Amino acid sequence: MKIKHTLYTLIPLLLLLLACDMEQEVEINLPPHQSQLVVECYLEPGKPLRAVVLESVSYFSNPQLPIVPDAEVFLTHKGRTVKLAFSPFQDRVSGKYFTHRNNKPLDLKAGDVVTIEVKDKKDRRVTGSTTILKRVPIEAVEWKFNEKGKAYLLTSFQDDPDAENYYRYMTHRDSLSRGTSRDFVSSDQLTNGKRISYGSAYDFEKGDTLIVSLYHIEKDYYNFLNSISDAKNANGNPFAQPSRIVSSVQGGIGIFTNLAYERKTVIIQ
Amino acid sequence: MRLPFLPVCLFLLLFLLSPDARAQGSFTVSGYVRVSGSNEALIGATVSVPELRIGATSDERGFYTLQLPDGSHTLQVTYIGYEPTTRPILVDGQNHTVNLLVAPASSKLREVIVEANSLRQKLNNNLMSVETLTTQEAKLLPAIFGEVDLIKTLQLKPGVQSGGEGSSGLYVRGGGPDQNLVLLDDAVVYNASHLFGFFSVFNPDAVESVELYKGGFPAQFGGRLSSVVDVKLNNGNNERIRASGGLGLIASRLTVDGPLIKDKASFIVSGRRTYFDIFTRQINRIQEGKEDFSPIPDYYFYDLNGKVNYKLGEKDELFLSGYFGRDFFGFNDEDFQFRFDWGNKVGALRWQHRFNPRFQVNTTFTGSSYQYNINNKIDVFSFNLSSDIRDLGLKTDFNLVLDKGHTLAFGAMATRHAFTIGRLNFDSDDNRLAFKAGSDYDATEAAVYVSDDFQINSRFSLNYGLRLSAFGSGGKTYTALEPRASGKYNLTVNTALKGSYASMMQYIHLVANSGASLPTDIWYPSNDYVKPQRSQQVAAGISHLFADGRYMVTNELYYKWMHRQIDFRDGANLFVNDKLEEEFLFGKGESYGNEVYLEKIKGRTTGWIGYTLSWTYRQFDGINEGRRFPTRYDRRHDLSVVLLHKLSKRIHLTGAFVYSSGNAYSLPVARFAFQDVEGKNATVVPVYNDRNSFRLDAFHRLDLGLVLKLNSKFGESDLMFNAYNTYNRRNPYFVYFEQVKDKESDETLGFRAKQVSLFPVIPSVTYNFKF
Repeated sequence: MKIKHTLYTLIPLLLLLLACDMEQEVEINLPPHQSQLVVECYLEPGKPLRAVVLESVSYFSNPQLPIVPDAEVFLTHKGRTVKLAFSPFQDRVSGKYFTHRNNKPLDLKAGDVVTIEVKDKKDRRVTGSTTILKRVPIEAVEWKFNEKGKAYLLTSFQDDPDAENYYRYMTHRDSLSRGTSRDFVSSDQLTNGKRISYGSAYDFEKGDTLIVSLYHIEKDYYNFLNSISDAKNANGNPFAQPSRIVSSVQGGIGIFTNLAYERKTVIIQ
Repeated sequence: MRLPFLPVCLFLLLFLLSPDARAQGSFTVSGYVRVSGSNEALIGATVSVPELRIGATSDERGFYTLQLPDGSHTLQVTYIGYEPTTRPILVDGQNHTVNLLVAPASSKLREVIVEANSLRQKLNNNLMSVETLTTQEAKLLPAIFGEVDLIKTLQLKPGVQSGGEGSSGLYVRGGGPDQNLVLLDDAVVYNASHLFGFFSVFNPDAVESVELYKGGFPAQFGGRLSSVVDVKLNNGNNERIRASGGLGLIASRLTVDGPLIKDKASFIVSGRRTYFDIFTRQINRIQEGKEDFSPIPDYYFYDLNGKVNYKLGEKDELFLSGYFGRDFFGFNDEDFQFRFDWGNKVGALRWQHRFNPRFQVNTTFTGSSYQYNINNKIDVFSFNLSSDIRDLGLKTDFNLVLDKGHTLAFGAMATRHAFTIGRLNFDSDDNRLAFKAGSDYDATEAAVYVSDDFQINSRFSLNYGLRLSAFGSGGKTYTALEPRASGKYNLTVNTALKGSYASMMQYIHLVANSGASLPTDIWYPSNDYVKPQRSQQVAAGISHLFADGRYMVTNELYYKWMHRQIDFRDGANLFVNDKLEEEFLFGKGESYGNEVYLEKIKGRTTGWIGYTLSWTYRQFDGINEGRRFPTRYDRRHDLSVVLLHKLSKRIHLTGAFVYSSGNAYSLPVARFAFQDVEGKNATVVPVYNDRNSFRLDAFHRLDLGLVLKLNSKFGESDLMFNAYNTYNRRNPYFVYFEQVKDKESDETLGFRAKQVSLFPVIPSVTYNFKF
């Protein structure tokens, strides 16, 4: 019994020791970083043209947004090139910031190829292209309650068996401005040609307004989003390998793609 | 396949060479080394004739064989914890059988008399780069939470790196943790760790000894590039039933051994289990229902070892060994059930037959498996992911002592591997969300080998051999010839020069992207797309005995080339991927360094100092833009100082100090703002450049221990007090960058680096008993 008591006495002591603050701030000397242009440009049929051009900065530099005023953005569609003027603004509806814009939409059809060119006075040049994708219709948004009055959500759609497809699925509660309650990317590698359903946990209640978005995305965008996620996870995970950003553009960092999505709003009843 | 002409010719030439006249008139002296009183076989005891610098080590049966010339000689037996014993013998033109009995050392603290594998025997061994560890040694050294760990003790030897703080992974001369062949009584152990790598699977009470080969591999070993960890289980006591065990801070263990049939059969059964879960369940029960309380997940592991040996007759003996171990990690609440379990099953049945004292054969049937299962249920959705590897193997090893100074070892092995990789089942209660994934592969691995241990003259000896290995999977077959050689030249009685060369093949590969040993790491066979890994290692060294043979200093230089090394592309999906081979990257590696080892194994103060200066690199087209980069465990300096001091008959003090250069580490050098699409918040994304281009701070730690023998009426007992990381050093485990935000406005004010450490000072006490 004495041994048992000794052990019971030692356990809190051990837990106390393990509860010691094992984190401390340290100084890291980073090598000089040569900034790269960072481009984000999403095309949507019928929508004005918007782009964000920033640059990468050394990790511990000032947290101000590193805009590049001398950057020029050009889009080329069917042999016609349009320029997006440097005109920083915040979209009141989406809350997003943009550095370049052109309010005249392009006449985009599925299969069209659009290219981008971004250059600045430091002779940095970023290029890329995107192929306009078809939307994939959401066939059903359903929910099912458990005995505690909570519901899970099921979103179903049909995958095209003749193509390698990639998807991004998001759900928002009440409004797009409040952050996603679910966001992931997926491929049809294991579900090619099948009716695919994306589910949720029993997270919802009667009266909840849910916005469901299904993006049909390019493989480059899928890889880019995965690499963003991997890079973020590698910072702070001792078991993760560092991951480089897999950009869809050349000459810099970033994504140039098109957004082909179906969005449905449902009220859980 | 073309046979390398030069090694084959060299092998034949050496075998046909006539040795000098001294070796021609030799006769066999053989017998058993047993413990007086218990009649228990002593494995690994050194039997030698010091004046002739001839010696041998007793095998699993306690059997030894020596080749001695005519004349009067004195046999000497040494072993840890036993009185050194001598026995005169007259070799008069015929072979002799001499059985030797050794008595336990008179001191109560006999385990600390470290005399096994005498330094002279080590000096005169043809092989180099071999580290031997007995359980008695390991049991005395301070250990984290008081849990003695043989693998962690091996990490204190030069040339062996740990995976990180608390990790039981072995990184030998620049090799990865997957490049170690871990054998338990000749059966492969695929994942030799518990608790995410913090403890090894070997229960010290069940293990007799461990040998680690870092280079100069004998031809009977193959299948991994960098090391062989050869673990031998205890045979059990032959005279009476005994029990021993220990109560520790986190685990308890119990071992029972004894005779099954007097002088014919004995057994040993050993088990241990952790009890974190008993305490955490209590805490969860007390805190249940409290707001903001998250239940602590359940975790425990256990393992069982057993061995039976049965003497069929004077010339035949059977050995049946088994291991079963499991880790469980679980979490349950109303809507979420998570269970993760993993473990090894290992079995070996060995038949030993002696045709005569000079010729014996061991035939072993082995089975081994490693499996992990992840079961996750969230509401109506269930998710199950599992992978495993299952082996069945047969091997036979002959040992033939010839005249003219030759001892031949030859044999063959074949193993059938079965792999299940990433078996996934995803389902929902109404079956509307259901899909499966996973792949199954079979493979056959086989080898034949022959080697000759050749005593050319009293100064010069060689061990050289060839191994022909083959592997087939998915219609693709690989074969390779693996030449091995090691030699020794005695400059003086106390100084020996040694050199070795080894070519190794590895046909199965660990799919792991973490750089650490995780239970989810899975094995994958070579096939059409994934070619086998290969290494070549050369080593040269000098050993010198001084101070009347009480000290030996060894210096070894090595260079290792590693071809077709494996890594994975950035962002590789290693869990659920039916096209896993597309995620592999192939490259090369190299490691080189110098190891200095000073050891003392006699007297009141014993121990060793090991220092390694080394460099380890890898190079892949798809990583680091093709530039060479250091591995995480590339540590320029690595120092271990281990001391054991006998203060009195009842009290022993022990200490271990380790210092190593900081791990190579990847940190982001830059960042950018990523705004994302409508409905997503902007985030900061780190930008990584060169792989492993930063260095964490140096790692150093002092562990202290005190062993207090207690007066006990029922047998022997002791208390072990340990202090891990005595001066409470905050050693770096990893570093991360974080945003500094204003608490009220959530505005980003800046960025800073934080270092995380794992273990502060950890005191522990363990009670051990034996009766």
